[in-house]
Amino acid sequence: MSVVLTARDLTRHYEVSRGLFKGHALVRALNGVSFELEAGKTLAVVGESGCGKSTLARALTLIEEPSSGSLKIAGHEVSGATKDQRKQLRRDVQMVFQSPYASLNPRQKIGDQLAEPLVINTNLSKAERREKVQAMMMQVGLRPEHYQRYPHMFSGGQRQRIALARAMMLQPKVLVADEPTSALDVSIQAQVLNLFMDLQKEFNTAYVFISHNLAVVRHVADQVLVMYLGRPAEMGPKEDIYAKPLHPYTQALLSATPTIHPDPLKPKIKISGELPNPLNPPSGCAFHKRCPYATERCSTEEPAFRAVGTRQVACHYAEQFL
Amino acid sequence: MSLLQIKNLNVRFGDANAIPVVDGLDLNVDKGEVLAIVGESGSGKSVTMMALMGLIDAPGRITADALTFDGTDMLKLSGRQRRKVVGKDMAMVFQDPMTALNPSYTVGFQIEEVLRQHLGLKGKAARQRALELLKKVEIPAPESRLDAYPHQLSGGMSQRVAIAMAIAGEPKLLIADEPTTALDVTIQAQIMELLLNLQKEQNMALILITHDLAVVAETAKRVCVMYAGQAVEVGQVPELFDVPAHPYSEALLAAIPEHSEGAERLATLPGIVPGRYDRPVGCLLSPRCPYVQDSCRRERPLLDPQAHSLVRCFYPLNQEVA
Repeated sequence: MSVVLTARDLTRHYEVSRGLFKGHALVRALNGVSFELEAGKTLAVVGESGCGKSTLARALTLIEEPSSGSLKIAGHEVSGATKDQRKQLRRDVQMVFQSPYASLNPRQKIGDQLAEPLVINTNLSKAERREKVQAMMMQVGLRPEHYQRYPHMFSGGQRQRIALARAMMLQPKVLVADEPTSALDVSIQAQVLNLFMDLQKEFNTAYVFISHNLAVVRHVADQVLVMYLGRPAEMGPKEDIYAKPLHPYTQALLSATPTIHPDPLKPKIKISGELPNPLNPPSGCAFHKRCPYATERCSTEEPAFRAVGTRQVACHYAEQFL
Repeated sequence: MSLLQIKNLNVRFGDANAIPVVDGLDLNVDKGEVLAIVGESGSGKSVTMMALMGLIDAPGRITADALTFDGTDMLKLSGRQRRKVVGKDMAMVFQDPMTALNPSYTVGFQIEEVLRQHLGLKGKAARQRALELLKKVEIPAPESRLDAYPHQLSGGMSQRVAIAMAIAGEPKLLIADEPTTALDVTIQAQIMELLLNLQKEQNMALILITHDLAVVAETAKRVCVMYAGQAVEVGQVPELFDVPAHPYSEALLAAIPEHSEGAERLATLPGIVPGRYDRPVGCLLSPRCPYVQDSCRRERPLLDPQAHSLVRCFYPLNQEVA
């Protein structure tokens, strides 16, 4: 299989002002993330707010430069690429955003919005563009007469179809979707998720699917990456992670997710407290203050992100959960 | 007698011919009961509760055969009388804790305001009680939080403060409108646990409004499913989830990714909720229902008792008694 996206030790740090007389503080929003993604596969990135998943999306889509680390899109290294090369690379990575209400221009007709990627990136004539747009609209379940309409005339689910169509116009190699269904109702979410899966099959696109909803992730993902405070906590094949989570944070996350048929015999793992301040992360393991299994070692030594069986885990005691 | 009695509640925005947003809703809530109201956006679940609390402004119109809370007819109350009840005996927790609190006042002041208004507590006594309330909602370091402004608190913390304000008057009925939708899963689990503990401790009735069926399955005893302003099924929790009788309940459950484990596609309900101009003459679900018959298109079904629940359908599902 062909690898279309490779990240090696990707980091993104932000300097934050702390006021006039104090120096700048450093927020490590993304702290050493590595993965490989093959064409036609889906990597799901899971975590709570502030875990760095949106920062990762911004780095992958070249919206922001990573502070360090290497990012390869379709075999081309991003750092050091010339302006023209970057333009080509941007074609290969497209994005779908969380809110379909904010991501579509309210003053532009749907047809024009869908044609815009073609205007910028190709030399197609107006008639050819129109033909391509119509074909894509068919594919995402919009009718031809929608071409002349404005975004306010569509429901949230339809808008997300439009946003997805726009992202797929250039047939990118990688599609980054940042919480694409969290603004939608359950029955609409199911329709949009189905569309995501259909398009992936059709175009063999690789997806980076960012979500906090573990039930959705379980449906779409091949690989799952769980993040906590900018660091990877656990990464591996979906089946393994859901069957037997090794990192205590993954365990807590899975346990906290409500289910339709709750098992009264299975005690819930409760974690107390909230996400620590990213300006002042705890020493050692970032999770140790909330972890039910934390020991002395966890508060002093930062666990390495290491291979355990089929996956990688950042926990000193991952083996005991096997 | 039940604590809350709603009979044939209609809410319209506009003149008497306007399409009802809440359409003939009947609902009873007993003392100390946990009832969930589930539905998608626009199903009328929030508007029902706003109507109950007298929060519907013109051009909104409320009509009902009965709207009784704790023996008081809520429709006959003047504004002044209603304000004595709402916020004290009947309180509400809103979806977005960041906007529910006033950013210009400290947390302590806002809680004390409730105590001043409804219980006549002043000065030290009010502050003491506010502190107790913060302890009750398990806020760490409550003494220092009294002087904190909402922007200094995280989302989960703010929601705890909002809950503290809601339970300040020891309400008989607490309405929680999507209380955890804006929060992360681990925080959601903490807040739901807190709400249920408070409910048991103070023996108050809790109405939980949500679109998340999994949350309902884990918390409520009874559930009311709403569709396009009507209650379509009202039943006990494990039964309604195991053997849904209304096609809409069935579709809603089937659309959850958890139910399609291993399946390639998610089950979907085609189409969208009927709007102002395409409201069907017959059953409101008839254009989308996979089991639709001729009679469904002609006549509107009533909410009638069936084997496991109250169902608004001519051809309820899963009726064979085991």
